[in-house]
Amino acid sequence: MRRLLVAAAVAALAPLTATAGSLTLFASGEDLATEGFAAPKLTRDGWALEFTRILATFDRITAFQTDPPFMADGPAIAGTAVALAGPFTVDLVDADARDLVELATVHAPEGHFNALAWALVPATGGEAAGYSLVLEGIARRDGQEVAFALATADSVMHACGEYVGDARKGFVTAGGAAELEITLHLDHLFGRADKPADDPMNLDAPGFAPFASGGRHALSLDGLHLGHVGEGHCHVTML
Amino acid sequence: MSPCSRRLGAGVLAAGLIAPLPALSHAALIEAEAVQAIRLQALYDTGEPMAGAQVVIFAPGAPAEAWGRGSTDAEGRFVFVPGPEEGRWTVQVRQAGHGAMAHVETGAAAPVSVASAAAPGWADRAVTIALVAWGALGTALFAMRGRRRSDASS
Repeated sequence: MRRLLVAAAVAALAPLTATAGSLTLFASGEDLATEGFAAPKLTRDGWALEFTRILATFDRITAFQTDPPFMADGPAIAGTAVALAGPFTVDLVDADARDLVELATVHAPEGHFNALAWALVPATGGEAAGYSLVLEGIARRDGQEVAFALATADSVMHACGEYVGDARKGFVTAGGAAELEITLHLDHLFGRADKPADDPMNLDAPGFAPFASGGRHALSLDGLHLGHVGEGHCHVTML
Repeated sequence: MSPCSRRLGAGVLAAGLIAPLPALSHAALIEAEAVQAIRLQALYDTGEPMAGAQVVIFAPGAPAEAWGRGSTDAEGRFVFVPGPEEGRWTVQVRQAGHGAMAHVETGAAAPVSVASAAAPGWADRAVTIALVAWGALGTALFAMRGRRRSDASS
């Protein structure tokens, strides 16, 4: 009888197994996190930054298949949803050769996951407890060297459209593996010396000057829009 | 082929037959036909065109593989003639770390544009791709036939 029940359970799961693949979510601070801000990619005010660690905590993560495609034009995403249990606290400096840090892999139905909701939230424990994003490192300019630690307790919800990058991502096929990515654009915080001074990003980025006294500084994420999906944009809500 | 383009083709053919050809010239055949094309414009949310931006096109049947590539002009515009596959054509435009997608449906239903959206007040250069036109554009197809020296002198 027990064998019969097991067989029945396997049969019931078979259609799901046959039509499902896997979806792996990564986080990235791109090369600016792993290699820092080095010439010509200095901060907009000319500082070189070397990060020792960037602790980011992600939660409330849901991947969606949307049709028509969600275009990051509002906070609500509707579609076939797959939740990825969080929270995840990761060090974006300790990334692989693609500048990626794996967060989780889940089973997912076939289809194109072309939208992603996620939040930066304060960690509830560990070294980053109480903070959603902590950036630590050394800044250098004109022979001056400054150790810094920037931390924010802000919670920020992101509703993002499709990942934009060298290849399209998120296509789950039967038995196949697909990827999605949360991307933090650190140049929206520090600006970039290799871009025009009147580039809107440089006009809005605080740069490193506000933190040049060194030590620990509080950081506000309001209005910075660090969160992306590759080069794709997200609708942002401060929580 | 439209009557107009037929007349053009016939005229070109007739000119080729009547006019004396230099010994090393090439015969040319020009066929013109009207086709339906998709024209897009990519802008930053500041209104600045994405000039010279990288464009990648994805066809309905193979949305993970690039179907075609190109770049926008000085006004951020890009025109392409989709293949016969009906469904959702996706265009990705990228430049200097900024990118966006646009989707255009082709087929029995009228084309539907789903442009990328940019919320005002964003702290970076959000990107908007808008469907500018879907319609018949005259396109000339050039077929060059080389003439060997022996052909030219015969």
